[in-house]
Order: sequence, then C-alpha cells, then structure tokens
Amino acid sequence: MTKIVTHKEGALDKYYIPALIVGLKVTLKQFYKTLFLGQSTTINYPEERREYSQRFRGEHFISVDPQKTENCTACYLCQTVCPADCITIVAGERPEDANPYGVKKEKRPVSFDIDALRCCFCGFCEEACPKDAIKLSRNYELATLNRETAVYDLDHLKREVKGRG
Amino acid sequence: MTTSEAPAKPKLTIDGQAVEFQPGDTIMKAAERARMDGTIPRFCYHPGLPVAGTCRMCTVEVEKAPKLMTACSTPAADGMVVLTQSDRVRKSRSGVMEFLLANHPLDCPVCDQAGECSLQDYNYEYGPSKSHFVEDKRVWKEATTKRLSDKLTLNMNRCIHCERCVRFTEDVTKTHELLMDNRAWRKELTTALDEGLFNDYQGNVADICPVGAITFNDFRFHKRVWFLKEKTGICDGCAKGCSIYADEEKDTVYRYRARFNKDVNDHWICDEGRVSFHTYQQADRIVQPLLTAGSTLNATSWETLVPWFTNELKKARRVLILIGTDASSEEAATIAQVLPSFSSADFVVRSWNGTGDGVRTSADDAPLDHLLRRRDQTSNTRGIEGLGIKPWNEAQDQNFDLAIYFRSGRATLPPSMAAKEIAWGVFSLAEAQRFAAVLPGLSTLEKFGTYTNCDQITQSFETVVKGLGGSASVRKILDGMKLKSNTPVREVAGDTI
Repeated sequence: MTKIVTHKEGALDKYYIPALIVGLKVTLKQFYKTLFLGQSTTINYPEERREYSQRFRGEHFISVDPQKTENCTACYLCQTVCPADCITIVAGERPEDANPYGVKKEKRPVSFDIDALRCCFCGFCEEACPKDAIKLSRNYELATLNRETAVYDLDHLKREVKGRG
Repeated sequence: MTTSEAPAKPKLTIDGQAVEFQPGDTIMKAAERARMDGTIPRFCYHPGLPVAGTCRMCTVEVEKAPKLMTACSTPAADGMVVLTQSDRVRKSRSGVMEFLLANHPLDCPVCDQAGECSLQDYNYEYGPSKSHFVEDKRVWKEATTKRLSDKLTLNMNRCIHCERCVRFTEDVTKTHELLMDNRAWRKELTTALDEGLFNDYQGNVADICPVGAITFNDFRFHKRVWFLKEKTGICDGCAKGCSIYADEEKDTVYRYRARFNKDVNDHWICDEGRVSFHTYQQADRIVQPLLTAGSTLNATSWETLVPWFTNELKKARRVLILIGTDASSEEAATIAQVLPSFSSADFVVRSWNGTGDGVRTSADDAPLDHLLRRRDQTSNTRGIEGLGIKPWNEAQDQNFDLAIYFRSGRATLPPSMAAKEIAWGVFSLAEAQRFAAVLPGLSTLEKFGTYTNCDQITQSFETVVKGLGGSASVRKILDGMKLKSNTPVREVAGDTI
C-alpha cells in the first residue's frame, strides 16, 4: 500500500539561506575543525601513511631460508585451493649441487607466477601452504604501469620482506 | 555312482551376502569375483603378483576362527562366514596403520603419490587419529632418495615394506634386480647389481607401489594427480595393443598407466609404450597444413591445401596410396574406398610398416620377451591385413606419378620414389622435408577407431584429447574434398575417424 507523505513548507524553507546552512552543517563543521582546530580527517599520502592491521593481506611473497633458497616445494596446494585461479606453478627437480640440504628440498618450483590482477587476496594460499612459503605482506601499493608487471614471477616473490612488510 | 547333476558351487558369506567361488580361491579372490573387495584394504596383495600375506591389512573375521585371518592368503571354504567390517577387524587395521605411520614421513604435500596413495586412503578410512609414538622417525639420511635406474627413483623413507616391487621383479619380469636388505625397521630396498634395474617393465614398479616410495622419473614432479582426468585408451606402441589409462589435463597427456585386461596385457605395460605419448606432443610435430613452394615447405591453410590435393589427384595418372600399418581400420578402409572416387587415375593401395628392422607383415612379427613387447612397432598390422591391403613391394609396384603416404606416427618412412609424394597423418618436421605437401592428421590419442592386435583381438579406442593445432581427421578432409573445395574444410561438420 502506498503511503503519501506531504511536506509543508515552513519558515526556514521560505528564506533559503537557513535551509542552506542546515544542509551544509556537516561540511561547515569539518571546515571549521580543519581550519581553526587543526583536526584534519584526511592525511597527506604518501608523506603520511595510515596504520593498517597487522593481519592486512597485501602483496605476496615467498619466504626464503638463510641460503636464499625458497621454502616452496611446489606442492601445488595453493594452486589447488586458489578460488581466483591466479597461481601457476611448474615443478621440477632441484639440481643436486644447488641443494644445500641434500634431499630435503629436492622438489622446487621452476616457475611460480601469481597474477595479481586476478588475485582476490583471500589468503587461502597462505593457509594451505605446508611450508609457510607463500605469504601475503602488508604492502598495499600494487599499482603498475602495465599488466605484465602485475604477474609476479619467482624472482619478484623471493624479494626480501622484513617481518610481514 | 554317476550323477547327472552338476555339483553345487561352493559358497561363502561375506558381510551377510552369499558369494559363489571356485575351488582354490582365497577369500580375497572370492570377494574380487563378487566385486566385494572394496571393503578389504590391502598393501602387499596385488592381483597380478603372488600372495605374500605380510602387511596384515586385509585381515577379516572368520566365524569360528579364533584369530583374524588374512583375506589374501586364507583359502575360501564352503559355508565360511566372513566379516570385513566388524569392530575387531577395524581395530586390528587401525593398529596396523598406526605401526605403518610410525615411520612414514608426513610429506604428502611433496610426495607425488598423494591423491592416489593407498596409505592416505586407508588411513582416512581406518587409521587412528593419534599416534602413541613419541620417538623420532626412521630416516635414511644417506640414501633417502636414490636412482634405482634412469627410469625410477626410490625414496626409502616412504617405503612400507610391502615388497610388491621385489615380487614383481621375481615373478613377472623374472629379472630379480630388487631385494630387501637387513630386517625389521632397518629393512632397505636395494638393487642386486650396481647398475640398478634393467628390465623393460620398470614403470609398473612405480604403478604398483602403494605409497610414493618408487616414482617414475618421466612423470615425477610433473603433475599432481588430482588435476588429471583418467581416460581409457590403447597403447599404439607395438602390435600388442595394451590397454592403458591415459591421464590428461587440458588436452595434454601426462602419463600412461596399465589398465587390467586379462586377454592382452594383464596388469602391465612396457616402458617404451608408457612414454610413447611424448611422440605426439613433441614440438616438431606438424600440426598445420604444409605445401611446397619451390624447395621449401610453407605453412598454408586447409582452404588452399584441400583444393590443391583434389587437383593433384585429378591430374595424376597412376597413384600409389600407401597406408601405414599404424592407421586405424576405419581410416584405412575410408581412404582406400573414398580416395579413388576423386579421380579417374589408376589407384594402387598398399600398406607399409618398416618398424623393428623391416617388419612387412604380421608374419615377420615376433615377441621380444616372455611378456608383452613385440618386434612390430605398429598397432594395426593385422587389422590392415584383414582389410585385404597387401604390403608394398618396391620392386613390383613402380611407375607412379603420385604417392600418398598415410600414417599415424609409428610406421617408418617408406623409401623415396620418383613420384610426387604427399604426406598425410602424423609427421615431424624433419621427416616431412621430402614431401610436396603435408596434411596433418590425428594421432591415436586424438581419434577413435579400431585396432586389431597381434593375437587377432580387435579393440576399439576413444578420443582422449583434442587434435593438436590444425590437424584434422580423415573424415573432415574427405568431406572438405567432396564439397568441391569452396567450403572451408574446418566448417564441415563431422566426427573424427
């Protein structure tokens, strides 16, 4: 059932300016706060940065051991669990001389590509990883100049990330 | 004394269901015949190998027997009552699993067997959720992974000592390369000789290994098995025509596995056949139509090549159609019957084999060992002979001005002749150089049809993957030729032959 609502023009509506002030109340409040009290709501990015949660999920990286060997063993669990289908792994055997711990890391990713344009940053890959190899850092500045650089290869993923970035 | 009645077949009861069995059967065999063996787990038992009875996983409860009995080695008796899922049985299996897992590493994410591993499956079904063991696991630091040969890799940490591999080399290949060293938990699989395994059926050892201890190098680390789709097919590596599973993902075949067929290959296939799918996925296989331009072959389209081919047939006076004995019976029959209708030329249809040091007919074929391998490396020599196509005699059949050679990738190249030669089917770039044109055809994996093997067993096979690139079936090409070359051949509806 339709309900008809009528609005009666009052005195404030008649003289325009008071109605304008009522409408701009929030704007004027913020204007006053910023200009006279120095309480700004925006920040001067990139000079100033916002504090994000420690659990923020940003750009991916693959953790490495002290010898800079990636912890990834190319088990494909992240690729299997990925809902966006953005991880592509090609597995291979690590050459024995490039294998600092003998057989422990005999399987390795020959290539490991993450398409950041497809990624939905759900963090399932991080949860599935049995080796704590793939992780999401707290870096959220992912803008690139072209689409190719948005596909992270193994070299990019193995970059040094302190803590969680 | 004589009675006309046939003696009643003996019966036993498995989980409340009466099952007939043949005298001499074990409980496992009887259950297998009745297709009730799904409830009996097993590690050491394999239908193609002699019974060992060592893993104790297949124990079942037999009424009136004081102890649990192993289903794989206990003979079935008339009136026996067997329980495969009673509490006592499940408790026993849980105990077996706990012992096996005491020393088994927890590296399923890295292990290639994960996803098709008996240990995983049975642990999910019967295993305890906790282990009582607090000690360190047994680890072979020196010999964790070693190459058993250039085809197999052993990871001893994962071994559960079922000894299927040892029994395989003892009883199937009879080469005795593998043996178990030491005893108890120090028991280690070793090769008798330093050079490792040398038989031609090593891939089966990786197949029958219930865990990831022995892996086949050609497949090792290439794919996780849960991505693969299991399709049935026939190996076209030799005249035997073994039944296989071809595991593919996204139209790429990653491996062959043996498929049980008691009339042809039992549970096994040879290594040569196991890796034969690589031939069809090589980078130098021709998958686009090629046409000669002066001295070189240039890529062209079906729209150009089909009219050219039809025109060449019309111009010719005496044509030789040479059909490789690796063509399916349907392809051979279609080509032999349909192609002559395009021209008034004199057609001669002959077959060509040439593999295994000059095999010409099935009479030249011979087994290479006591198992499966044959001298004839093509899959349909008998089938082509059954169509009445005679082998080509270079001395008698001469003076052609056009020769069309059709093959499916296995038969060798025939000796070159003075006529204009056209290749049709599966060829590599190096092989195609002497031909005036190449019509890329489908390999065994990409078509369906029928092969007749060396023992006159006719088997049909189905399409496993899509045809690579622009390769087309015989039917499509002939349909395109029929449509007077005005219609592009790819738009012609038709099934693959």
